[in-house]
Amino acid sequence: MADLTRRSFLTWTGVGALSLAAMTLAGCGPSGSGGRDGSVRFAWWGGADRQRAYLEGLDAFTAANPDIKVAPEFGDYDAYQERMTTQMAARDVPDVFWIPSPAVLTYRDAGLYRDLEGIDGLDLSAFGADQIESFRLGGELNTLPKSVFSPVVRYNATFLEEDGVTLPEQLSWDGLAELLVDYTKENGSGRVGTTYGPYHDMPFESFLRQRGEDLWTEDGRLGASVDGVAAWIDWWEKLRLAGATTTVSQQDGIEPSWAQVGDKVLLTFANSNHIVDDAQAFPDYTFDQRDVPAAEDAAAGYHFTYYSRFAMYSGVPDDRVESAAALMSFNLNSPELLGLVGLSAGAPPNASLLDAYEPDASPDEQKVITVTREIAGTEQRPRYEAPAGSGSWRDLMIRELEEVTLGQKSVPDAAAAFVEAVEGEIAGA
Amino acid sequence: MMALAQKTAGRRQAPGGPGKPPPRTTRSAGPSRGQGLVAHVFLLPWMIGMVAVTAGPLVASAVLAFTDYDLLSAPQFIGLDNFVRMAGDERFWAAVRVTLVYVLVSVPLQLGFALFLAVVLDKGLRGLSLYRSAFYLPSLLGGSVAIAILWRQIFGENGLVNHVLGWFGLELGSWLQDPSLALSTLVVLNVWTFGSPMVIFLAGLRQIPEELYEASMIDGAGRLRRFWSITIPLLTPIIFLNLILQMISAFQAFTQAHVVSGGSGGPLDSTLFYTLYIYQRGFVNFDMGYASAMAWVLLLVIAAATAANFLVSRRWVYYGDE
Repeated sequence: MADLTRRSFLTWTGVGALSLAAMTLAGCGPSGSGGRDGSVRFAWWGGADRQRAYLEGLDAFTAANPDIKVAPEFGDYDAYQERMTTQMAARDVPDVFWIPSPAVLTYRDAGLYRDLEGIDGLDLSAFGADQIESFRLGGELNTLPKSVFSPVVRYNATFLEEDGVTLPEQLSWDGLAELLVDYTKENGSGRVGTTYGPYHDMPFESFLRQRGEDLWTEDGRLGASVDGVAAWIDWWEKLRLAGATTTVSQQDGIEPSWAQVGDKVLLTFANSNHIVDDAQAFPDYTFDQRDVPAAEDAAAGYHFTYYSRFAMYSGVPDDRVESAAALMSFNLNSPELLGLVGLSAGAPPNASLLDAYEPDASPDEQKVITVTREIAGTEQRPRYEAPAGSGSWRDLMIRELEEVTLGQKSVPDAAAAFVEAVEGEIAGA
Repeated sequence: MMALAQKTAGRRQAPGGPGKPPPRTTRSAGPSRGQGLVAHVFLLPWMIGMVAVTAGPLVASAVLAFTDYDLLSAPQFIGLDNFVRMAGDERFWAAVRVTLVYVLVSVPLQLGFALFLAVVLDKGLRGLSLYRSAFYLPSLLGGSVAIAILWRQIFGENGLVNHVLGWFGLELGSWLQDPSLALSTLVVLNVWTFGSPMVIFLAGLRQIPEELYEASMIDGAGRLRRFWSITIPLLTPIIFLNLILQMISAFQAFTQAHVVSGGSGGPLDSTLFYTLYIYQRGFVNFDMGYASAMAWVLLLVIAAATAANFLVSRRWVYYGDE
């Protein structure tokens, strides 16, 4: 060491650091999954309440399965996706993980999912063969739904009563638009019909399906036509220009901030599970929800139940597969977990589990259950997941909606630009 | 700075007297081999971190800039395609435009405000350290997510700013949803983080010899004359240092725009900072090759801007010993 010169010092430092980096990279290979102590890594997203509830649930799981350790990996929705992206690149993916909706096929194409057929510890006994068939992606059982939900119209029942308004049993898009414009003009409290909501993906998808289109096609393309997108934006533009929606400024952007406008509107479009959390923001009001409007000539089978999926990582070592499967089964079938997490992330796909939970459900959760069952009982034609490359489609929609609302583009031009941009992103993926 | 110049001059004259070159130093006069070893050992953690955590990714991104890399499959070499693509990418140019406006407007405003407050605080106020700490606080918080969220509230339709403007009969919508105003809120946020340059200015002001002011006052110089003819010239090295630091920081601004615009850079790309667009391409579109190329362009632009500033500085920065 006494002969150490600056040059040799720098050389050895470089060699040491590069070795360290190489060892780190080597540790990130496909077999690098799993907690360092052999525990099952479980990743999910949400807010602080959901984090707490799931951590309690995982404690219950490990208490019931003392030979299985679980390493939780939690994040806010956006942060979760960023982390998954880097984990995918490093092949250091959690063993069991929730799948963000725009990434279902992206993750599949990246080879992240393990085939779930024939895993002994995976308990799918609560599901019928048809139901399991509907869980498949391209014929493969490689993901499972952790929860289900559907698009709804959520309305302020207190406002309806105070303002003497009744929502008709059969609600068409035109009928709803007329009702919202009239309500805005006639209620004396300065309330408006709805939030400006063309950004909402699930009502948009329902609107398209009623036209006989799909948001995404089976072969991984954008299913929406320029006309379909234009009709959707146009429906909203007429409302906005008539003053029947909150302004973009009021609602703090194209994506409405519920906290800003939840007490200013008669109704809004939402996912069926959102009522659980959103209603709590305005405890002075009672909210309820119902199916979305339907065109008189709506295509058959337009209803859909969205599966929010989770999966087992393909790199899970064989000796940990059964433990990971036990954790997945716990997520699918545990009344204890459902009791802790409730329905804020959606209803469980396990119908018997939902039946057992119903007596303990809160009033708002009862409304989730009602709509879930109602829509589950409808005719539903297949629905396809977002293809790889489509992850930014909501951002592209926002940009075009900004152009329209700021008067920079006509609705047809914006619709054409949206379709071209999404198709371009998918083609470039 | 003046003191530094005097010190330097003094060091030149001390051993041999004025006009004589300083004696040559020899290796034996330097630190011993043992001291060198200790220094190297202390440097070791930084060196390892530099090579493994900074230099490694830097080299990797340089390589990725010439590839089509989606993070999920192996990178494919595509030569200069990513750089060619930038030329025809409208959002790239929107990001360049937004970032340049932000740098050119917010940095001078921030430095001007910091200098103004430093001059005020240099007047020997009571409780100076308290003011200094209070004014420095925004610099610590300014780049944080919490402050960016606060900014959303302040500049929202029913925020504090519109509330105050309402007293004067002005009714505005959300500043953040107006493409012509959204960037200005981020400029104000950057100006608000004036604490760091202010503290450096304050230290520089303290180095200006009082006798220069006294002499000029005897010669009849007024307050403004003293400021322009003594304070500013002797402070130019500090202004230059702050300019370089804040310019680089402004080119790299990300958090504020990400939070304030909800990650979109909207409305209509009016807050699409360059770094935000890099993030969108890399982490939203899984277009890491293109994002790497963009990152290298940014690095080269910052290097060029810094070099240009150094060149121009010869014309306006006064080091006292020239």
